[in-house]
Amino acid sequence: MSNATLDGKSISSEDAYEKAAEILQAANFPLVAGLGADVAGAQAAILLAERLRGAFDHLASRDSLADLEVVRSAGIFVTTPNEARVRADLVLLVGPGLTGYWPAIFDRLALDKETVHGGKTKRRVLWVGAKRGEAKIEGVEVETIPATEAELPGVLAALRARVGGRPVTLPAAAAKKLDAAAEALKSARFGVAVWSAAGLDSLMVEMLQGMITELNATTRFTGVPIGGRGNATGVLQTSAWMTGFPPRTGFGRGYPEHDTWRFEASRLVESGEADAALWISAYSGEAPPWEDVDIPLITLGPPGSAPKHGLFIAVGKPGENYDAVEFAQETSSMVLRRASAPAGLPTVAEAIAAISAKFSEDLPC
Amino acid sequence: MKPLLFTLKAEPDQRLDLSPLTPDRLVGRSAKEIESLSIGTTRESVTVGDIFKVKLGDVTSVRFDGGSDRFDLLGAKLLPGFAIHVEGDVGAQLGRAAKGGTITVAGDAGPYVASQSAGANIDIYGDAGDFLGAPLAGEIPGMSGGRVIVRGSVGARCGDRLRRGIIIVEGDAGEDLGARAIAGTIIVLGTAEGERIGYLNKRASIVLSEQRELGPTYVDCGAHNLGFAKLFAKSLAGESRGASRLLSGRLQRFAGDTAVFGKGEVLLPA
Repeated sequence: MSNATLDGKSISSEDAYEKAAEILQAANFPLVAGLGADVAGAQAAILLAERLRGAFDHLASRDSLADLEVVRSAGIFVTTPNEARVRADLVLLVGPGLTGYWPAIFDRLALDKETVHGGKTKRRVLWVGAKRGEAKIEGVEVETIPATEAELPGVLAALRARVGGRPVTLPAAAAKKLDAAAEALKSARFGVAVWSAAGLDSLMVEMLQGMITELNATTRFTGVPIGGRGNATGVLQTSAWMTGFPPRTGFGRGYPEHDTWRFEASRLVESGEADAALWISAYSGEAPPWEDVDIPLITLGPPGSAPKHGLFIAVGKPGENYDAVEFAQETSSMVLRRASAPAGLPTVAEAIAAISAKFSEDLPC
Repeated sequence: MKPLLFTLKAEPDQRLDLSPLTPDRLVGRSAKEIESLSIGTTRESVTVGDIFKVKLGDVTSVRFDGGSDRFDLLGAKLLPGFAIHVEGDVGAQLGRAAKGGTITVAGDAGPYVASQSAGANIDIYGDAGDFLGAPLAGEIPGMSGGRVIVRGSVGARCGDRLRRGIIIVEGDAGEDLGARAIAGTIIVLGTAEGERIGYLNKRASIVLSEQRELGPTYVDCGAHNLGFAKLFAKSLAGESRGASRLLSGRLQRFAGDTAVFGKGEVLLPA
């Protein structure tokens, strides 16, 4: 059986690569988006965008750029989950749905166990803005600071104000609760805030990090960010070492230009500025975010994720169907993941190489 | 003498970088030289002559007859003493890093108007997009001088990291007005959307035209007849009568964002 389809009908792989090359080569400003791929796949995709003088974006760049925005315009304190595991005597969990973004989070942080360095102490765990019934961790007593999603920015701001001893406008009971939390943060010997930018936005991350900066005047406090889906952090690092910029970068003028507004994938497609797209989502087969736009589309995804329209080429799942290097949340570093279920499917990098091999010779390389 | 005139011939099929078309960079060039300037941003090359008919005139003032939301970086790095008028829309980063001069736009403007502008007077008669006066990704301060008046409405994050200068919005403002503002003044005559006003505001003054809830990190300081606001109102009378009227009334002052230093303020009519 062939692993490629055109408008839902099966075609041979050779024809699919040929057709994909034709589409990309004919475009004036092609978009390489999704980029849900391992490091080798992302490298191939970014090189392809450069060769075609198009632009590239990652499917979770909203989340990775929210953290990066704070890194590059304000400053950020971060550590690895393992450092938090051995040292953190206080863990501040921020925002709802953390286990959804990182299922193994509480095991890795070993919240129910004592710290290893800096004295053996039981950990104190605070959770601000947890969903209803979510703040239950086995063997851990979780102190909660309630906040709905809409209230969370204000509660974070008020907490930071109280840490600094500045006034807030809150009912007495709520203020008392925040004061107690602020006291706990200040008395921590090694505090760690854990958040996912997918559940916050860059302003809230900046607020949280500002508070951490202030706490560091008198104690040690740092953060553990939970990265975006689809190897967002790994692709961001790959993009940085290849182009000097994170995703949302274009090569239209022959050199990389980074613009978080101009090269946002949905905007490029919906405005008609991009006239063809290669969508890569090898981990999950997630569909492109743009709606009702009919541009020539090539999709690389796991088998079974073929869209009704356009060209689809099946690729393996990185780290599952083939050995892949990707960013690992649990160690905060690149790791090689051995294939757990090898399959006779091309890798993302191989699929892009096969497409590139079909370009006619007048396209510069 | 009539201004140097660019008449739109054809709608561009890609975004254009119009930063080379500021008056100071066109001094002493012939129409032919101007028409051969490259303004494209993709591998398809585009020159001024492909998009505009150029008619030479007074170089201190440039006029665009016809606009497009793909006209990026118009009036970038504009110098004092020069003027640009656009009879139509413009794209992103209007007046980016301008040192001075005046820019008027009859239509709408895209995002990042007056980004890191240090002194231009910018008037937009339509609406403006998100991030008015904001720094680009990775930059520290936003607009650091001059003034921007938008007669229509603006998008989200207006006045983000504003460092100095005046922003007046006669229509409505989108979410996160005055977020991360460092200093300067933002006046909105319509409504301001969302819960967060002046989030992470350090020392800026944000003036709104109606009573509303602010976040927990703004502290009520009571109603005042502020002497400086009245002087300021007088100076704005010729630019925006609505803003002038708002500032000359009695104002309720809320100090914040206390999460940062609490040296900024939101002023509401008392």
